[in-house]
Amino acid sequence: MRRYRRPHRSRSHWWGDGEVDSAVSTGTRPPVRVGHEQLMALIDHTSAVIYMRDVDGRYLLVNREYERLFNLHREDIVGLTDHDLFEAPIADEFRANDLAAIARGVPLQVEEQAPAEDGLHTYVTVKFPLHDAGGHAYAICGISTDITARKRAEEEVRRLNDELELRVRQRTAELEASTRELDAFAYSVSHDLRAPLRSLEGFSQVLLEDYAGDLDEDAQGYLRRIQANTGRMAQMIDDLLHLSRATRTQLHRERTDLSALAREVAAEVAATEPARTVGWEIADGLVASGDPHLIRLVLQNLLGNAWKFTANVDHPVITVGIRPQSGIDVFEVRDNGAGFDMAYADKMFDPFQRLHSAAEFEGTGIGLAIVHRIVTRHGGRIVAEGAVGQGAAFRFSLTPAPADWELR
Amino acid sequence: MTERPILLVEDNPDDVLLTVRAFTKNRIRNEVVVAIDGEQALQRLLPADGEPLRPALILLDIKLPKIDGLEVLRRIRDHERTRNLPVVVLTTSNEERDIVASYRLGANSFVRKPVVFEEFVSAVNTLGIYWLLVNEPAPSG
Repeated sequence: MRRYRRPHRSRSHWWGDGEVDSAVSTGTRPPVRVGHEQLMALIDHTSAVIYMRDVDGRYLLVNREYERLFNLHREDIVGLTDHDLFEAPIADEFRANDLAAIARGVPLQVEEQAPAEDGLHTYVTVKFPLHDAGGHAYAICGISTDITARKRAEEEVRRLNDELELRVRQRTAELEASTRELDAFAYSVSHDLRAPLRSLEGFSQVLLEDYAGDLDEDAQGYLRRIQANTGRMAQMIDDLLHLSRATRTQLHRERTDLSALAREVAAEVAATEPARTVGWEIADGLVASGDPHLIRLVLQNLLGNAWKFTANVDHPVITVGIRPQSGIDVFEVRDNGAGFDMAYADKMFDPFQRLHSAAEFEGTGIGLAIVHRIVTRHGGRIVAEGAVGQGAAFRFSLTPAPADWELR
Repeated sequence: MTERPILLVEDNPDDVLLTVRAFTKNRIRNEVVVAIDGEQALQRLLPADGEPLRPALILLDIKLPKIDGLEVLRRIRDHERTRNLPVVVLTTSNEERDIVASYRLGANSFVRKPVVFEEFVSAVNTLGIYWLLVNEPAPSG
């Protein structure tokens, strides 16, 4: 290496054989002559692999990186062909690319592979022929840059992508399978579990109608208890089905007029007990991006609850409004009804959790689980706020929010 | 009321009893012919030989042994002789797919059996009034 390192300006003794290969003009200074040794120094100090072969494929010259890479001395290589140095398939490819570059007469860029200590390395190679005065190619030069690291990184990215895709496909298949199972389960529940209830209810009624004379007050009371519980169980089955439907139906997000939906649902709820008067305050212009069928279910449950829990209040008021938080729309359903103990605020979204006795307020405890499921499926969040005797408020979003965003 | 029978396609004997009772309570006096699966229903409606049943109304359950209700409905609508018969799907399910499939196959109505018997009696009453009294059947039906 040292023998090529000559002072830049020195003009003495630095072209060994006196042969002048080229001259570089340096403006006002006299031209600097660049000779064979200087050019060798240049090609020996690159990380690229550089070589020159004659048209028959015999090596004329290799650079130091070539020597290092294949652990050979240049004196031993000159005169050999690639077929002496590499296995046939690799040598064949090199030769084919050489001939292609000679045929084209202009630089050719190809990707080649050559063996290294840790397996095959990939190179981007530029090959170009040298022509004599008559225009005949007499040699072929090659400059090969090792792109193995990049190739391996690309390969790794591709492998990881494939793996990820495979995993996504597996998970999707698993999810689809479990959804199908849930679907089959829900379907058979809806068919098979209700039929026996109809018998229990129906034949209790038959007894009450046809054998009333044989049954005393107590016996008739027991039959009514059977009927009441049968009806309750039928309601629970229906609610469970709603919960499962909220999970398995496809979500079709669209621009949804929440104000209009809320008014519709409020009218439906109010129609269940026409004798009651409730002050509805539903804000105008509430618009959400979500599945209108599922949002309707949310409102049915929240407004239904608000209606139910304001039954014993003098001036019941139910409001539906919006309270944006950090740019995210948060909708609110608020009432001034029975309220609840905040200690149970987290529990109330679990299926079958009830904070009131059946004697106080009817219910199966599924409604808020359905609401929670739907809000979650939209990527949103929901919180409940309340105090015993001071009403309740439910606030929910329907769009995904940053992880550090907290619904208040 | 029309004298033609009602074909009740129902595999659950309890439901048969309760349905017949609901007819009685509503003073629907048409003969009730019961088929306990889809195959029997089709044999009554489209017999290989013998007189076919020509009911005023078919009450059809969906979940049935052998041939299910939707297939029975498809064959009823496929056949010239039974094409115009009024079919009310009377079933336990209110699954959307069952409702959609029933109407696509040409059901005239879809009714979910209520659990509470009194509600069921009232539903049967409505069905009876409409299909046996109000509705004018197709001449060929």
